[in-house]
Amino acid sequence: MSNKKVLLEVRNLEVNFKKAGQVVSAVAGLNFDIYEGETLGLVGESGCGKSTTGRALMRIVEPTNGTIVLDGKELTSMKGRELRQERTKMQMIFQDPISSLNPRRRVKDIVAEPLDCWGSAEGDERDRIVFDLLNRVGIDPAIYGNRYARQFSGGQCQRISIARSLAMRPKMLICDEMVSALDVSIQAQILNLLEDLKEEYGLTLLFIAHDLAVVKNVSDRVAVMYLGKMCEIGPSDLMYDAPAHPYTKFLLSAALEANPDSIQDNEVLSGEPPSPLNPPSGCRFRTRCPFATELCASQEPLLTEVTPGHSVACHYPLTTVKA
Amino acid sequence: MSSSPILVVKNLTTTFITGRGRLPAVGGVSFELNADETLGIVGESGSGKTVLSRTIMGLQPRSNVELGGSVQLLGHEIVHASEDELRTIWGTEVSMVFQDPMTSLNPVMTIGKQISESLRVRLGMSKADAKVRAIDLLKLVGIPSAEERYDAYPTQLSGGMRQRVVIAIALSCSPQLLLADEPTTGLDVTIQAQILNLIEELKSKEKMAVILVTHDLGVVATRTDRIIVMYAGRIVEMGRTRDVFFNHRMPYTRALLESTPKVSNPSHTRLITIPGRPPDLYNLDGGCAFAPRCAYATDQCRQEAPSLQEANSDGHLFACWNPLPVGTSPLNQQNSNEPNGASNEQ
Amino acid sequence: MTSTIENNEVVVLKPEKKEPLGVFFWVCVGWLGVNLLAAIFANFLPIWGPQDSNNYVDLNTGPSFSHLLGTDDLGRDILSRIIYGARVSLGVSFGAMFLAFFIGGIFGMYAAYRRGKLDLILTSVSLVFLAFPSIIAVIAVLSFWTPRSILKITIVIAVTSIPLVYRVIRAATLSAATKDYVLAAKIQGATDRRIMTKELLPNILPTAVSFVMIGIASVIVVEGSLAFLGLSTNVTTPSWGNMINESRSVMQVNPWLVLFPSLAMCLLILSLNFIGDRIRSYYDVSEVKL
Repeated sequence: MSNKKVLLEVRNLEVNFKKAGQVVSAVAGLNFDIYEGETLGLVGESGCGKSTTGRALMRIVEPTNGTIVLDGKELTSMKGRELRQERTKMQMIFQDPISSLNPRRRVKDIVAEPLDCWGSAEGDERDRIVFDLLNRVGIDPAIYGNRYARQFSGGQCQRISIARSLAMRPKMLICDEMVSALDVSIQAQILNLLEDLKEEYGLTLLFIAHDLAVVKNVSDRVAVMYLGKMCEIGPSDLMYDAPAHPYTKFLLSAALEANPDSIQDNEVLSGEPPSPLNPPSGCRFRTRCPFATELCASQEPLLTEVTPGHSVACHYPLTTVKA
Repeated sequence: MSSSPILVVKNLTTTFITGRGRLPAVGGVSFELNADETLGIVGESGSGKTVLSRTIMGLQPRSNVELGGSVQLLGHEIVHASEDELRTIWGTEVSMVFQDPMTSLNPVMTIGKQISESLRVRLGMSKADAKVRAIDLLKLVGIPSAEERYDAYPTQLSGGMRQRVVIAIALSCSPQLLLADEPTTGLDVTIQAQILNLIEELKSKEKMAVILVTHDLGVVATRTDRIIVMYAGRIVEMGRTRDVFFNHRMPYTRALLESTPKVSNPSHTRLITIPGRPPDLYNLDGGCAFAPRCAYATDQCRQEAPSLQEANSDGHLFACWNPLPVGTSPLNQQNSNEPNGASNEQ
Repeated sequence: MTSTIENNEVVVLKPEKKEPLGVFFWVCVGWLGVNLLAAIFANFLPIWGPQDSNNYVDLNTGPSFSHLLGTDDLGRDILSRIIYGARVSLGVSFGAMFLAFFIGGIFGMYAAYRRGKLDLILTSVSLVFLAFPSIIAVIAVLSFWTPRSILKITIVIAVTSIPLVYRVIRAATLSAATKDYVLAAKIQGATDRRIMTKELLPNILPTAVSFVMIGIASVIVVEGSLAFLGLSTNVTTPSWGNMINESRSVMQVNPWLVLFPSLAMCLLILSLNFIGDRIRSYYDVSEVKL
């Protein structure tokens, strides 16, 4: 892993929200790197802070603490024009395809918006870039360029969103549940398109989703979050075969496979995640973990490497039991 | 399987009359459901699965809808039944669980009251009896400290707990058929597994039939006896769950299966996609609705809609002019050989 | 590599489900136009002067050939006075609303987009003002701020309308500002000003325009009420409110004198409300499911 160049370095990222006088710790100290050209999948259940993490990286949500270094530049201390400029290297695609596009603007203007903001291309050059981008994502610009965004269906809107996000030639793309609102057949089209564009444009991806199968399909490495903390991070194939964190194991066994012969694990995780207003002491998963001991309540497990490139935050990682 | 069917749907059509014209949301659907069965109805958005389940419940609005065919539920005809007739069936013979538990619960009424109210109205229970039974129901659906939660408002519960309450209300009058329309779609995976297990458990405990409507093949794969696959308002394939997964004949069923990412496949497995998108129901021509997206389509497919034909004597039906050969399901290849999908680059 | 998978997708566009605006809408627009044109070009119209008293011969005549809508108790032509009166009613109402929207709209949009302390302060202030019946404030100010003129009345009504306009525009902006396309514009590097003009403004414009129409209608009523109380322009400048006020004493002799200015006011308000309502629903892009 050391020979790869780190594109995004996240250290001690924290995001706190104030809610009715109380502090909700949505993201509680995340450390991870994303290497150039890879796809890191980020999974977890709702409320685990995965979307907030993505938004904090883009600084649409202000991080309470921590540093974000993108391509050698520290983002958290930036302000104003510098931040706006630097942030174009990283783009984000949102979950709701319809709401991502201004219903009152024309498709070609939406895709050209980043170019217009920066005046980076004008006239014929601008039109050519927009034409190419729309063509590339499968929306015929000659026919549909002048249409309003509100006339398109979810899958098409997501294609247009992708085209827009590529206009400034970003290095990195953050995909926040970008296919979860789409039908299976459309979802597959978008996932394949994303894989192709990643190659063509040399993109690095952070792919945030709750669907484990979708995440595995696109990711080189996967990180699992629970209640604002990272449980486990490692190569996706390895981690799906031999999860080290009990939570990852339960998540995987709860995932439904479209195969009547798939092993239906009866070990379903009981209970629900506790409130982030009042997280449990020590390991945040301990209240639902069948293996929890007193140590788990008193001491917070730190993310430690079990095998090269595979780290887990658990006092009793499962791989050691297996070995 | 020997028991007589409790639900018989015959040539059911639901057509909405809208500003744009006639929208045939359900176009001639026939099937039967036995008393102890779990039936999965699978389809993408616009396939008519939700409209079908609402029509079976008799929940379609009276205006701007044309209904045709028949739905016989335990001897009652649902199509064109009056609201009063339906009210005697709802709850006691058929109940429904909707996708969004927040909108199916009344936010300003405690959950206990919502359950006991339906018990008192439907079954004429006394206030005290209804409360006891309501708490029993809350326990039955696995709500911890049910006595305290009895006085909770829906907003005080998590999504999973709310869905449990909705199920408790649905079960309150011991229906013989439970219709669950995307019951786990908004929920997290671990909660989804809990709810699906709960429905399965309650089904055998309460001896009812279940119809599970979903877009997710994973939800129906291991929990149903039979599956209906819908496309553009019609049944395109129907049969025992194993037949549909392993011996499907309709290319759409195959395509749906192939485009679903699987946890068991290695990462970066190329997904085989269906080009295009579901048809515009306003502009259906005479042919097979899937033909424009189908790799096997011929002129016949484009001109003439195929009707359901038998694949085997076990009730496996499909609607296709050029059916796939038996036993070529991607699942078969996966189980026998090395994973084959990895190199399926187009 | 550059395979053409899924390229040239057959896109089925959702139809624009627009109902036509309807004949009645255009009738209303036409009526508003007639009013505006008549008010603007009153000097060039072949009508009597509003003060021409006709040597006090034809008093309280009722409709006739030479005076289409009759004359008042001083022998002045009612049609002429209604047309000149429209200048006051329309001038005050259009002026007040545009002023109120210029100030209240900008504040409302900015507050809803930026949120935070500024929003809190502005919203609290607007709530305090809304709690106070604005007509009383208008009466109080106009009682002391003499001599009264059209400009002064316009300003006072505009200022008291700002809080309401602020609330309406703020609410409209708020629902647009929480949409992901605003975030998308932000991460592409759009400045706040660009986001407000390019992303938010087009989405709140229909609400704003329809509210302007309804606002104008209500200002016409306010001005009429003020005139009725003798707090509008001085008696020599006709306004619809003034005319109704003056005609009270001769109502039994000459009901036309009350009827026509009232009718003018009523028809115009009806038109404005209908136009506002249709514009709002016509430009509503919220999706119809199914």
